[in-house]
Amino acid sequence: MILHTINKVAGLALCQHLIAADDKVVLLEDGVYLGLQPLAFSICAIRLDVEARGLVGRLKEPVELIDYSDFVSLCTEADKICSWF
Amino acid sequence: MSSMLFVFSRPPHGSINAQEGLDALLMGSAFTTCSVLFVGDGVLQLVAGQSTDALGTKNFSLSFGALKDYGVTRIACSMPDLLARGLNKSDFLIEVEPLDAAGMQALIRHHDKVLNF
Amino acid sequence: MNFAIVVHGGPYSSQACLSALKFAKAVLASGHSINRVFFYHDGVYTANNLIAPPQDEAPVSRQWQEFGAGNKIELIACIASCLRRGILDETEAGRYEKSGSNIAPGFTISGLGQLIDASINADRVVTFGV
Repeated sequence: MILHTINKVAGLALCQHLIAADDKVVLLEDGVYLGLQPLAFSICAIRLDVEARGLVGRLKEPVELIDYSDFVSLCTEADKICSWF
Repeated sequence: MSSMLFVFSRPPHGSINAQEGLDALLMGSAFTTCSVLFVGDGVLQLVAGQSTDALGTKNFSLSFGALKDYGVTRIACSMPDLLARGLNKSDFLIEVEPLDAAGMQALIRHHDKVLNF
Repeated sequence: MNFAIVVHGGPYSSQACLSALKFAKAVLASGHSINRVFFYHDGVYTANNLIAPPQDEAPVSRQWQEFGAGNKIELIACIASCLRRGILDETEAGRYEKSGSNIAPGFTISGLGQLIDASINADRVVTFGV
């Protein structure tokens, strides 16, 4: 499993072809705005960034809100991390 | 020793990010097995005929010709991102391997660490 | 597990610098280690000791200093990025005959080799870009 992080909406265009079926995606910073649109893969979003932007309750299912400790755990479970920005 | 994949996603002259990414790749290739993947607007770094003398930025694209000499193993780019910009590999100043989605995913899988610029 | 953290964004011009700090704290709180934090691109502005933010804004640079010193974590600012952006230690200020140095306490100016070394030797590398 590869963990992809996306920190802005435009970051999705860079990695949309690179996310394999068993990969995971974490949205952070302005990347959490991607949670407003339907996405083809399962997504986690950093809770602090979602709260800061007033997006709690506004994100599409099934975005899962996570803390930084969960982010660290995902990094340890992944083989490697790709950051898209 | 970890192998490293450098991913370049920025166009060449609008910011210094592309040039600083290349600096990191050249340094990496002195230490370990490295490859490079150009995605998104990063494919525009490869366009032949860049001429920056009058602009006053560094024409670092000239350094791409030395990547093989530095021992960079694979030089690849995103085929979908290339086609989306109306380009093909004959527009490039060096030989580059265009990869489809599966090819790019395999390239990422086969390297231990990925650094994006 | 051992982490290398790469920061491309400076304080106030992007959120990357702050996100990286929160991540770094969570890495240690989870019982993992950090072999090095490498500041590259505009990330080296974090090492500017002359930053003087308003009192009601987070002193991100000082928070990094405290994090590095308190946990004995190496904070490396890339020399090439620093020189381009006017971040100098005593040695570089002398070499380039500049009027003063401005590297913040706890930061060290060093080469790109430190990024590669940290990446190769860490179990995981995480980049906070802009």
